[in-house]
Amino acid sequence: MTVSSYFQPGSVPEAVALLHEHGPELLVMAGGTVAMPLINEGISLPAMVMGLRRAGLDRIERSDDGLEIGATVTLTALTALPDAGLLAEAARHTGSWAIRNMGTVGGNLFTPPPGGDVATALLALDARVEVVGPGDSRMLPIAEFWTGFLTTALGPDELVTRILIPLQTGPHAFLKLGRKAANTPAVATVAVQAVMDGNAIREIRVALGAAGPHPLRSTGAEAAVTGRALTPGVIEAAASAAVEDAEPFADSVASSWYRRRMVGVAVGRALEQLTQSAERGA
Amino acid sequence: MASVVVAFELGGRPVEVLASPLATLQQVLRTQLGHTSVKDGCRQGGCGSCTVLLDGEPVLSCLLPVQDVAGRRVTTLEDLTPVSGLSIVQRAFLDANGFQCGYCTPGMEVVTKALLDRNPSPTRVEIADALAGNVCRCTGYTPIFAAVEAAAAAAREEAAR
Repeated sequence: MTVSSYFQPGSVPEAVALLHEHGPELLVMAGGTVAMPLINEGISLPAMVMGLRRAGLDRIERSDDGLEIGATVTLTALTALPDAGLLAEAARHTGSWAIRNMGTVGGNLFTPPPGGDVATALLALDARVEVVGPGDSRMLPIAEFWTGFLTTALGPDELVTRILIPLQTGPHAFLKLGRKAANTPAVATVAVQAVMDGNAIREIRVALGAAGPHPLRSTGAEAAVTGRALTPGVIEAAASAAVEDAEPFADSVASSWYRRRMVGVAVGRALEQLTQSAERGA
Repeated sequence: MASVVVAFELGGRPVEVLASPLATLQQVLRTQLGHTSVKDGCRQGGCGSCTVLLDGEPVLSCLLPVQDVAGRRVTTLEDLTPVSGLSIVQRAFLDANGFQCGYCTPGMEVVTKALLDRNPSPTRVEIADALAGNVCRCTGYTPIFAAVEAAAAAAREEAAR
């Protein structure tokens, strides 16, 4: 192992100071489920690593506006949240028990596709990402967080500290297609959060995972259903639009051709789920 | 940075080790503390053969810097094995032919213990969900499910006594 230093900051200011001092030389790690495999395999050879387990970012708070989730809150903790609907469901569909005990909500934002199921749900929830730098902090809408494959809007000395999730009143749906039923990378992931107006969709966000360089909104699918009731024809049009919006890649899990087909299938099924959950008044 | 001293609890006893920066709990358990039930399988978090309990929760020791467990409670299969004989879970795996080569068995049994501590009567679906991160390449999962069910029944029986 080539790592010369492993830092364990005990607070956010301490972590930000280390980032400021060392910049991109310092690999930031939370649960280790993404970074450690690459380090163990010798694919990633950082000189310095900073672990965030002791940085005090593992708290969940509720406000009138929604949930404020510390960046190192584990996926297991998300699954146990009674009022986190879509987010809890996405966490349950991620990894294995041990992975969920280690993996974090903040870390999931940096998980390369086809990972990032929780990140996909966060996009559908229109979350905001709190980012702290040396002098100040700012709130990034999650739609502006990713700029490309493994690249983000973060500055070199900025740290993701919290994720803010607005209170949701409407139904949601989450669907992940994989090669196995559990502990599997996604062929396609779809997360949907809606606001209903009677039978019709007043407002909706349709997020696609494993369908591009980072989680993407399907604005085509959103436009196809907004203001309409989810009839079979409307769902079909939305699924076709999502296929157009996807930028699927090929890997050992699926070919891009197959992923493109499955994005349509997943969006169709997710919208059917949404109809059912809207009928139940969820 | 020089090596660091890390103190934690292993199987109820305090231990102190000298570890290089970012050394994993798995490396330390195997090479310094002799807990060789903790396997060195994929080192990718993909096989589950290095699973240990951290404060009672299953974690993958190959992905965990040992410095992160300072002050915390680590349990391996060695710590779940009685001084003589076998634990209820071990006995059930043996009786149900829950292993062939045995490489995945420590991880399987550690997760089974954690599952039964939380849920004394798991369904097949709950067992499959708990063991989804533990890969077996030779036994097949059916005898493993049977072993977990037998262990659950034996544990309930003992609790009722």
